[in-house]
Amino acid sequence: MRGRAVTKSESKSERGAKTLFAISATFSVVAVAAIFLFIFFSSVPALKEVGIFEFLFGDVWDPNRGEYGLLPMLTATLLTTLGALLIGGSVGVFSAIFLVYFCPKRFKGVFDQVIVLLAGIPSIIYGFFGMVVLLPFLRKTFGVESGSGLLASSLILGLMILPTVASLSKNALESVPASYKEGSLALGATKEQTVFGVLFPAAKKGILSALTLGAGRAIGETMAVQLVCGNSPFFPKGLFSSIRPLTVNIVTDMGYALGTRRSALFVTGLVLLVFVLLLNVLLAWIKREGKPQAGKERILTPSAGQDGRVYCKKGGLSTALAVVCRVVAGLASATLVFLIGYILVRGLPNLSLEFLFDRPTYNRPTLRGAFVSTFYVILISLAVAVPIGVATAIFLVEYAKVGSKFVKGLRVFIDTLSGIPSIVFGLFGMVAFCGQGESLLAGALTLSLMLLPTVIRSVEESLLAVPVSMREGSLALGASKVRTIFKVVLPSAASGIFTAVILSIGRIVSESAALIFTAGSVPMLPDSPLDSGATFAVLMYRFTAERPDFAAAYATAAVLLILVAIVNLFVFVTERKLKKGKK
Amino acid sequence: MKEIQKFNFSDGVAVEAKNVDLYYGKFQALKKVNMRIQEKRITAMIGPSGCGKSTLLKSLNRMNDLVEGCKVEGEIFIGGENVYEKTADLSRLRKNVGMVFQRPNPFAMSVYDNVAYGPRTFGIRKKTELDEIVERSLRGAAIWNELKDRLNKSALGLSGGQQQRLCIARSLAVEPQILLMDEPTSALDPISTGKIEELCMQLKKDVTIVIVTHNMQQALRISDQTAFFLLGEMVEIGDTQTVFSMPKEKRTEEYITGRFG
Ligand SMILES: Nc1ncnc2c1ncn2[C@@H]1O[C@H](COP(=O)(O)OP(=O)(O)O)[C@@H](O)[C@H]1O
Ligand SMILES: [Mg+2]
Repeated sequence: MRGRAVTKSESKSERGAKTLFAISATFSVVAVAAIFLFIFFSSVPALKEVGIFEFLFGDVWDPNRGEYGLLPMLTATLLTTLGALLIGGSVGVFSAIFLVYFCPKRFKGVFDQVIVLLAGIPSIIYGFFGMVVLLPFLRKTFGVESGSGLLASSLILGLMILPTVASLSKNALESVPASYKEGSLALGATKEQTVFGVLFPAAKKGILSALTLGAGRAIGETMAVQLVCGNSPFFPKGLFSSIRPLTVNIVTDMGYALGTRRSALFVTGLVLLVFVLLLNVLLAWIKREGKPQAGKERILTPSAGQDGRVYCKKGGLSTALAVVCRVVAGLASATLVFLIGYILVRGLPNLSLEFLFDRPTYNRPTLRGAFVSTFYVILISLAVAVPIGVATAIFLVEYAKVGSKFVKGLRVFIDTLSGIPSIVFGLFGMVAFCGQGESLLAGALTLSLMLLPTVIRSVEESLLAVPVSMREGSLALGASKVRTIFKVVLPSAASGIFTAVILSIGRIVSESAALIFTAGSVPMLPDSPLDSGATFAVLMYRFTAERPDFAAAYATAAVLLILVAIVNLFVFVTERKLKKGKK
Repeated sequence: MKEIQKFNFSDGVAVEAKNVDLYYGKFQALKKVNMRIQEKRITAMIGPSGCGKSTLLKSLNRMNDLVEGCKVEGEIFIGGENVYEKTADLSRLRKNVGMVFQRPNPFAMSVYDNVAYGPRTFGIRKKTELDEIVERSLRGAAIWNELKDRLNKSALGLSGGQQQRLCIARSLAVEPQILLMDEPTSALDPISTGKIEELCMQLKKDVTIVIVTHNMQQALRISDQTAFFLLGEMVEIGDTQTVFSMPKEKRTEEYITGRFG
């Protein structure tokens, strides 16, 4: 009889565990709802006073005179995003084609790493690089006064969305069935014709999704653009006219805006959120719309050029496009090498032990505070995001019914969460967590929400990779489901979870927009997580925008890059181990 | 582990299925199956692919519960207790009715931890006690000599045959009364197959074995009882020698002779 008693209580704990996982899973829903509600309610005063119509269609932004037209900035956001898509989108797609079809085997790993590194470089460093390298270059080349504006913003944004577009397009291309390739080659088509006439069109859907996600990234990007856009709230009149996208509008004013003016910045955030929703709808539509069409030579996406079909039949364009792929991939790699080299060469000489480790004072900032702040932020945000993310993933993989309404809904929320721009997270964190003023804790809590989607997704993947037969083996021994999950499934997925943690650390180290108004940007030494403090990336922002100090900026950038490189090395090593383990 | 009650086979019957119907959604995979399995014997289940052998096997320890939309009607008694009763204790059932799968499925842990997993599940923590169980189980699965020096190595590095015997040892570690084996040798080479067959003959001194096999020679070599299945029905069950030499049913004869040429 005792045995039965034991399991009765066990099944209670089983149910308890399931409930706990389910509650964790709803956390993403709560987070998204909270973000929308907080941003909306903080917008209400301005919306009431100014009116939604004036916000959307007013063409002057001058809060001092009570003018709150967002239209110029809306236009700037749309144009820079379009520019980024034209530049970074096409380069990204071509790079993906190169990587999948034309890259010599030996260099595949290297070029893979190029894309990973490009994705890992903090946005503030892209901005800084744009400021100190791109702007002078544009000034010289075009003989313009500042070089900043629409073109510079599009170029930098393009560079930033390149890895997103490239890696997602690569996945799309790789999932085209091999039979398509064989079929086309067997018909006598050249490799180039096959790639551009058959394989690329077959991956159209995935590539469109990649471009949409790239657009989302461009719309939400703040720190990189603000250093190269010129930052005037006017309609763009030309490639070099000074502009201010929506995100930059928030970060520029948030520090000191009060009353209606502050509330108006939340309206700006609200507009960004609407963009995110629209993009999500678009993404869902792309995924649903028509199955990939293969085997028909004439189907090309708009991004491959309107007249692609004419040339494609002849095969001349295919060959030319193949060359473009190689050139473009080379250019992307060269840019990466140049960026890293440039920052290190200019930054390392400015690094001194004093600058790294001395106690900072207000007038003589050092990085010591950043070490402590970054450490606290990493620790706390991981402590929040990893358990919730793992529990959510467990719920999705081990408990939820595949394709149920609840799961589908949950995915919509998780996707939405991952699309919200970090500056909007910053706004949310400011009103939600900064009741007692800025603190590392508030910053970390904000970041943990940002990390959640990535953690969920990568843990989910590694759980799915654990064979069902292992779970059966454990259950067949009489072990409970919870025990099976914790003792058999999770340990087998450990390296995947470890990768998720490392990737999260990379994102935390790189993040600035979400931290500036939540954790603060003062380079002092925090005593505890309840103090405010600036991480490395936030200090970069301070040294480039708030209180320019280029020597310090270069040095901090070098440290940041080294940190990012270490993170990437860890990821690289674990993934390699993982692959070996599977063989 | 002593706390988990064993099933009581006082009348010599280990398993009794009564009018078992099983559905996967709308599809009926088992039709009015009635059969008895004797204690401490080897019962073989044969029949063409897709006839429901694995399905019946999995319903004996309720591994079918994991399948979405699977519904069982009728009764399955183990030692006189209906395992599909609401109050039935799943953990106790599966501890006493162990299972060995078609493909070896060792956990991604050391050999030792694989075998100790079951006992630990039921609360055994003492190192000496676990050591003793691990050795006994590995000996029971005739693999102690091969593995005694690699107890701390990952089980995933073993050969297929070793992995399968390790999985048998893992099952033995919780002292099951019944061992369900679903084509345990179909993924193995002839030598490993021979070892596992020999092992089954040893094990039946203590354990009731139900084995699904595709290989009729195997059924003939090791089993005492054979049950023949076709399209979800149990056509015939009886003494192995009799079923193979003088089947009662025409369908059984056709299947057996068809196979033997
Ligand atoms: N999980 C499942 N869902 C739906 N149908 C199943 C499932 N498992 C087995 N079946 C079906 O039930 C029938 C019996 O399967 P199974 O018991 O595996 O046969 P056997 O082991 O005798 O080859 C087959 O027709 C099979 O397709
Ligand atoms: Mg089977």
